[in-house]
Amino acid sequence: MQVFLQTIVGGVSLGAVYALVALGFSLVYRTMGLVNFAHGNVVTVGAYLASTFYLSSKLPFALAMVIAIGVTGAIGLVIERVLRPLENRDFDLMLIGTIGFGIVLDALIIMIWGATGRAVPSPVPSAPIDVFGLRIRTYDLVVLAIAAVATVLLVLFLSRTKRGAAMQAVAMDHEAATAVGIHVGRSNAIAFMIGAGLAALAGGLVGPLLYVSPALGGALGIKGFAAAILGGFGSIPGAIVGGIAIGILDSFAAGHFQGYSELVTFLVFTVIIMIRPTGVFGERTVNRA
Amino acid sequence: MTAVLVENADLTVEGLTVHYGGVCAVQNLSFSIPGGDAVGVIGANGAGKTSTLKAVMGLIPRKVSALRFGDIDLTGVAARDMVRHGIGYVPEGRHVFAGLPVEKNLLLGAYARKWNAETRATLAEVYELFPVLGEMRGRLAGALSGGQQQMLAIGRALMSRPRLLLLDEPSMGLSPKLVEDILAVLQRLRAEGLSLLLVEQNAKLTFEATGSCLVVENGEVAMRGTSAELRHNPEVRRIYLGL
Amino acid sequence: MRQLRFAPLALIAVAAWLLPYGLDSYAIHVVNVILIFAVLAIGLGLCMGVGGQVNLAQVAFFGIGAYATAILTTRSGYGFWISAVLALAATVAIGLVIGTPALRVQSHYLGIVTLGLALAFTNWVTNAEITGGAEGISAIPVPTLPGVDLSSEYLYYYLELIVFTVVLVFGLFVVRTGLGRRMRAMRDDALAAGALGAEVPVLRMTAFLLASIYGGVGGVLYAGLIRYVAPESFSIANMFLLLGMVIIGGRQSLIGCVVGAIGLSLVREAFVDHPTVAQIGYGAVVVLVVVFAPTGLAGLPGRIRSWWSRRRGQPGTAARLQPFQPYPALAERADAEEVLRVTALSKQFRGLKALDDLSLTVTEGEIRGIVGPNGSGKTTLFNVISGLYRPTRGRVEFRGRDVTNQAPYRLARAGMSRTFQNLRLFGDLTVEENLLVALDRSATVDSWRYVLRPISVLRRNRDLHRQAREVLDRYGLTEFAGLPPKSLPYGIQRRVEIARAVAAGPSLLLLDEPAAGLNGEEVRQLSEIVRSVRDSGITVIIIEHNMGLVMSLCERITVLAGGRVIAEGGPAEVATHPAVIEAYLGDSMDDIPPVAEEASR
Repeated sequence: MQVFLQTIVGGVSLGAVYALVALGFSLVYRTMGLVNFAHGNVVTVGAYLASTFYLSSKLPFALAMVIAIGVTGAIGLVIERVLRPLENRDFDLMLIGTIGFGIVLDALIIMIWGATGRAVPSPVPSAPIDVFGLRIRTYDLVVLAIAAVATVLLVLFLSRTKRGAAMQAVAMDHEAATAVGIHVGRSNAIAFMIGAGLAALAGGLVGPLLYVSPALGGALGIKGFAAAILGGFGSIPGAIVGGIAIGILDSFAAGHFQGYSELVTFLVFTVIIMIRPTGVFGERTVNRA
Repeated sequence: MTAVLVENADLTVEGLTVHYGGVCAVQNLSFSIPGGDAVGVIGANGAGKTSTLKAVMGLIPRKVSALRFGDIDLTGVAARDMVRHGIGYVPEGRHVFAGLPVEKNLLLGAYARKWNAETRATLAEVYELFPVLGEMRGRLAGALSGGQQQMLAIGRALMSRPRLLLLDEPSMGLSPKLVEDILAVLQRLRAEGLSLLLVEQNAKLTFEATGSCLVVENGEVAMRGTSAELRHNPEVRRIYLGL
Repeated sequence: MRQLRFAPLALIAVAAWLLPYGLDSYAIHVVNVILIFAVLAIGLGLCMGVGGQVNLAQVAFFGIGAYATAILTTRSGYGFWISAVLALAATVAIGLVIGTPALRVQSHYLGIVTLGLALAFTNWVTNAEITGGAEGISAIPVPTLPGVDLSSEYLYYYLELIVFTVVLVFGLFVVRTGLGRRMRAMRDDALAAGALGAEVPVLRMTAFLLASIYGGVGGVLYAGLIRYVAPESFSIANMFLLLGMVIIGGRQSLIGCVVGAIGLSLVREAFVDHPTVAQIGYGAVVVLVVVFAPTGLAGLPGRIRSWWSRRRGQPGTAARLQPFQPYPALAERADAEEVLRVTALSKQFRGLKALDDLSLTVTEGEIRGIVGPNGSGKTTLFNVISGLYRPTRGRVEFRGRDVTNQAPYRLARAGMSRTFQNLRLFGDLTVEENLLVALDRSATVDSWRYVLRPISVLRRNRDLHRQAREVLDRYGLTEFAGLPPKSLPYGIQRRVEIARAVAAGPSLLLLDEPAAGLNGEEVRQLSEIVRSVRDSGITVIIIEHNMGLVMSLCERITVLAGGRVIAEGGPAEVATHPAVIEAYLGDSMDDIPPVAEEASR
């Protein structure tokens, strides 16, 4: 039982990071109907930027994160602007276009930061605290808290602000959105920017948890995507539940299957998608003739 | 709606042409709507009614030799800015924002304006016009019935306080009782000085809601006249019942 | 003329044969690797470009082929060729497993699932003992061929060249005959392809089957060439490189895929000291290609040609529509049977009741009209009958058999054919190919003929072309045969769709608003076509808003409103039915003088 709970605790903080990645995917999908395959690479860029500012420029961790988020947000804007001609037209082409961006970002990362990775020390004291016999790292709590705050802010933005409502409206019906005066392209650009910012947040947070390397984003991106699908693509609570679920699944797989954890995670994910393609919170879409 | 504008502008459309791929959906169509008037466009499916409306809004690529609303030239105005010139649009098949609550849908109708006390007042007016929307204000729009969604779509367009309302088949899929309700709303809006452009299959609704009508066939005007004349025209009956 | 066509081919063949004489030992190695990538790219092109199935696991197929060969030769001690055959079988088996998600999900989802499975594969080979972990497997024996020393890369080149030629020709053979046509139709519009009897699930699996065969062949060649396998050769980076080759070359053209593979490999070779620069370069080109030239290099000549002719202001085509030649009429049968029986059908979309306890029977040889105001459930009814929607309640019987909930392609093969309200022609196929898809009733599972009896496939293909020409002639479409449907005027597209639906050889034809957007003369021709189709023994149900057409064409008319049948009967009966007048014109048009007398004058 103790081991079981410890495994869950171990999965939750990484799960929170997956949830942030999933939120980025979901937001962009919700507003644009596009899956951004470069999202994982944006996570890596965010991780490198944050760790560079934190380690080399000796900035406080929080400030380093903010700058990283700003820079990746700009990258998001560029991606959206270039692919805008394909919006609402050909999804498969857009998918390949984002893969193209992913390839470019991947190369840029290696060019700027080199192919070897770096370890990022935890910005908070590393001694774990003890709760009812469970060892919890303080940094894990920081990750959870930040992820929770980011989620709440995102939900508030979408539900309470005019811009947030408009962004959702664009996703539901871009023509009706245009008719009420919403600039669809601008709305999509903002969605992409926030999505990229969330990716950077996830990347920055995961730095002290994992080793920062060019391959970081690939795994995080796919698991975040899996989390988004698992929860029901486009659903915000779904992204969180999916993220935590994948995190825990990961943690168990690592405990039981060691090196094969990725294999097991993807197989389980594939089976779930086969059984329920719309995820836990997803809605069935009607195929119109 | 008690406080719609007093003075209103004329809409002038000249030489409107729409091509879809190789198809000419609308061909050199001209008409005008004097301020405060209601004009109907009727005709069979595929005759080019919806294309006409979307082309006026600028939602689809079109060619037009003149498009004016009052003294504003609308030819170069983007679709998203039409609402800022006082033109509201109620799309065919309702197209409400299904995943958002009713009230958010309505507020988004006022997207182009500041959300302030005036917006609240307009919202109250819309709820007064459609009490059922007030009862359902927290419900997701997608969970409403067809008739309620239609009212929501009209309400949403009214939230921008338009001077001209473009309606695309508001009677689609509604029961005769609900069509009567929609008619009553349109008549009331018109009485308050709003200009209407109504595209419809339902001839009865159109004749009762408008002062004059165009009958379109294959993207061209087959007939035009006052609604009262057309109502008694056997040719209209031929088009509708094929006799 | 014929010799001229083959001249460039012969030239390429000679050049390919002589190529090794001009290359040093490093260059020939590069060429050998390029050929392997070309094989992989063809496989990816078949799956993604031709079949429309997003496949980001091609590199895993490649890896499985290579690893299986390595394991079987070094660990189990089999000979190279036996291992190669077994490795190919293993690749195909795993390819089919990786392809199964395609039955449930498409597009993005399929992309991520296949990418995840590719990662799972890399994860496995890096960890498993049998694959040698991160070190990989070395000392794979040289493939033996009597009299040929395949350890020489020069001689290995010829082996690869032969294999490459064979798989390229086979790929082209598939693309240009029935199977490829059906896959392309599915890619353009899976719904319409299903409604014409294309077994969409089988075709999707076939796409992955082909991809895995090519992946396996590439893997075996790789194992024989390098004689060493390690995880990094099958990384996601290489998957994206492969994808870049296919996209830049032009995914819908196998030749394009080959050109892309050669081109990108050469560029990568030129930048071998600056791999990141090369990567930025090809990533950027991928982005530019999808935005500005989605058909890739292979599509450029066509785009330039059309741009040129537009610039010179040439009219698109001088082709003219010829008159329809009626089918020979069948003698009327006295014992008309029931073709379709719909009982108490309901269909609910979330809150909306689209069909509400609707019942309907149609007998053989009828032209049944279905009319009703917009939103009254007509198209939903068609969608339920033709299997696109599952009804919430009720049943559908077709020629005496219960077909409720059957897949559209099964219904199509049982003799039901339909058109769509907003035209669903296969946009990237020519008019003739659109018809060929409908005419081809062979089962996709019989595709083994492609390997074992290619001549019979060719013969069948010739046969289908002959039939297609007959259909083109009958519908007066001969001059449009080679054109893409999107370039044609709307009225002609409508006619193509009807021709296609009838070419499928149905016993029941469902027409969804065939007259929408047609002018008076076209409507007259349409009514002539529909009548002749019926006289040839096909029962027709027609949804239409053009009441003139319905009234003149149909013996019986069913009127829907709010998802229910509100009236049914002959034209005159229906047109004077109070419920119909109410539904159409509103409830109190009594003040209009009745026009029945005028009409009967």
